Amino acid sequence: MQKIVVDANKHQVTLNLRELLAYKDLFLVLAYRDLKVRYAQTFLGLFWAFIQPAATLLIFTVVFGVAVKVETGGVPYPIFAIAGMSAWAYFAFVLNNSGNSIIGAQEMVKKIYFPRLIIPLSKAVVGLVDFAVAFVFMSGLMIFYGFMPSANIIYLPLFILLTIISALAVGIWLSALTIRYRDFQQIVPFMIQFGLYATPIAYPAETIIKSLPNWAVIIYYLNPMAGVVEGFRWSILGGEPPSKYAYISFVLIILLFISALYYFRKVERIMADIV
Amino acid sequence: MSDIAIKVENLGKCYQIGHAKSGELRESFGQWFKKLKGSNGKAAETAYEFWALQNISFEVREGQAVGIIGHNGAGKSTLLKILSRITEPTKGRFEIRGRVSSLLEVGTGFHPELSGRENIYLNGTILGMKRSEIRAKFDEIVAFSGVEKFIDTPVKHYSSGMKVRLAFAVAAHLEPEILIIDEVLAVGDAEFQKKCLGKMDEVSKNEGRTILFVSHNMLALQSLCSEAILLSSGEVTATGSVDQVVSTYLRAFNASEKIKIVYPSSECPGNQSVKLLSQEVVPNEHDHLIVNDRPLEMTFRFENLQKGESVLDVTFHLADEMGNLVFVGSSAFSGNNMVGNGLHCYSCQIPAYLLHEGFYLISRLLIVKDKGTILYEHRDNITFQVKEPTVAEFGWKGAKEGIVRPKLEWVIK
Repeated sequence: MQKIVVDANKHQVTLNLRELLAYKDLFLVLAYRDLKVRYAQTFLGLFWAFIQPAATLLIFTVVFGVAVKVETGGVPYPIFAIAGMSAWAYFAFVLNNSGNSIIGAQEMVKKIYFPRLIIPLSKAVVGLVDFAVAFVFMSGLMIFYGFMPSANIIYLPLFILLTIISALAVGIWLSALTIRYRDFQQIVPFMIQFGLYATPIAYPAETIIKSLPNWAVIIYYLNPMAGVVEGFRWSILGGEPPSKYAYISFVLIILLFISALYYFRKVERIMADIV
Repeated sequence: MSDIAIKVENLGKCYQIGHAKSGELRESFGQWFKKLKGSNGKAAETAYEFWALQNISFEVREGQAVGIIGHNGAGKSTLLKILSRITEPTKGRFEIRGRVSSLLEVGTGFHPELSGRENIYLNGTILGMKRSEIRAKFDEIVAFSGVEKFIDTPVKHYSSGMKVRLAFAVAAHLEPEILIIDEVLAVGDAEFQKKCLGKMDEVSKNEGRTILFVSHNMLALQSLCSEAILLSSGEVTATGSVDQVVSTYLRAFNASEKIKIVYPSSECPGNQSVKLLSQEVVPNEHDHLIVNDRPLEMTFRFENLQKGESVLDVTFHLADEMGNLVFVGSSAFSGNNMVGNGLHCYSCQIPAYLLHEGFYLISRLLIVKDKGTILYEHRDNITFQVKEPTVAEFGWKGAKEGIVRPKLEWVIK
C-alpha cells in the first residue's frame, strides 16, 4: 500500500523522478489540452505554426540573404536560415510558454497535488508540434533547391535532444522564478528578442569567432542556444564542425538543466502559497 | 481492518502576513545586499506571523468517515490542503496510508474550449485516475451526469448547472482508498446534491473507504460521518462522535445568544431596495427568558427604499441546534402585504408548545417581493434559547424526540 509521510522537520530535496513517471497520464492529458486549445476557434488552425517561421524566414532572406549577402558556404540562404531558426523557434516557444505556465495553472496548483514539473514539461511537448512543422517546411525547401543533407545527419537526433534539454533547462528555471518574481514576465520577451540576434541564426557562427575578441566569443557562447544552433545546422548542412567554443554551451546546458530541476523542486514546496 | 489510515502529529501552519506574497526582485536584492553588509536582512521580522493551524493531532482509522467542523477561518481548508500535499506544514508531521484523492473544488482544470468528453478525461486524470480507469467508467460517468446529449459540445456552452453535474459525476466515480472533500457540495441543485451524498455514502459504507469531509451542512455531516473534529482558531477543540461534536459546535456558536439585534443606522445590512433595521425575539418571561408554554413573538423591522407600493414579505428559516430546519415562517402565507416606501415592522407569533427546549437560530432571513423575488437575504441572524417552564405541569420527561412537539387537542372517549 502506498504510504506518504510529510514531516516539516525533514526536508530532503530529491528529484523523485519515479513519481513523475506515475503521473504520466496527467502529463499526456495536459499536453493534449494545450495542443487542442492552442488553435481552437482559429480559422487557419495548425497552419499558423507554418506561417510564423515562414514570415521570419522571408524577412531574414530579404535582409541577410539578398541585401547583406551573408556568407553561407554555398548553401541557399533560406535553407541556411531555417536550419538555425527551427531550433531557435522551439527554444523561444518553450521559454515564452513555460515562464507563465505555473501562474496560468494556479487554480490547479492551489487545488490539487501533482508534481508541478508536469506543467512546464507539457509546454515543451506542445512546442514539438511546431518544431515538426518547421522540419517539414525545411524539407520542402531542400527539395525545392535540390539540396542533399550532409552525412552528419546521423548526429541530428543528438542536437534535437540538446535543443529540447536547453529549452527545458531555461524554461524550468523561468517557470520557477516567475512565481516569485513576476519581473521575469517582462524579461522573457526581451530575452527572446535579444537571443534571436545573439544566436547564429541569420549568420554563421564563424563570423562572430573571426571578428570578436576571445573574451567576447566566450560570452557569446554563454547563450546555450549558440552552440546548439551551430551543431544543429552542421548536422543538416555539413560544413565546419561546431567550434571548440560550442562546448561552453553544451556544458552550460547540462549545468542549467540539473540546477533547474533542483531549484524547481525547492520552489515547488511553497508554490501553492506564493503563486 | 481498523488500521490507521491518517495519522497527524502536532501539525502547524504559519503564514506571513503583510509580507509581499511574491516578492519583487528589488526586495530580494535589497535583502541580499543587507546580508552582504552584515546586517543580516531582518526585514521579514516586521511581517506579522499568522498561525492558521497549531498543534493539530488526530488519527483516522481505515474505513472511517470523519467530518471537520468549524467556523470560517478556523483552519479547515488549510488542514485539507496540507493533507492533500498542496501546501507544506510549517511544523509537525503526518502519515497517510493509501491512495488519496482530494476534492477541494469541483471541476478543477476544466477547460471551456474542450468538449464534455475531453473534460472528463482531463478532470479525471487531474483527480488521480488512470486513463484506462476513466475509459472503463466513461459511460457510467456520463449517465450519472445526465448530459449525454451534449457530451461532444465544448463546455463553454454548458449551463453552470451542467458543468457542476459533469464535474461531480467524475468525482463521484473516484476510487481512492482515502477521499478528502472540502465544502464542494454547496454548489449544484438540491436534487443533485442528494444524489452525490447518496453516492458518497454508498462509497464509504459499502466499500470501506476513508473519508475526511468538511461541510457547513450539519445534516450532511451527520448522515455521512461517524466521527468529527471541531477546529476553532486553528486548534482542535473537540473530537468524538459526530452528534456530540456537532452539538458542541452549535452550543459554542449559540453561547453568544443574540435575541435582539438592532443595527446602527450607518451599518444597516441591505441593498438599494431594502435595509434591515432590527430583528428580535421578545422574551416572554422575566430575566429575558423565552419559555415554550407561551407564544413567542418575533419582530423584524426594515426600510423599503423602493418607490411606490409593492407586495413585500418577510420569510425566515428557523433551525435548531443540530442545524435541522424546523420550519419556514413567512408573512406571504397571510394575504397580500402591500406596503409603500419607508419603515415597516413585521411581527409574528410562534405558537406555544411548538418548540422543544434548546437553541434555535434563524439560518436565513429573506425579504421577498411579489411572493417570488428575493430582494435581500441576511445570514447572520438572531439566535435564542427556548426553555421549558420551571414547573412542568405536563409532558414527557424523556429525551426530546422529533423536530417539533406541538400540543395536540386530544379527545378521549
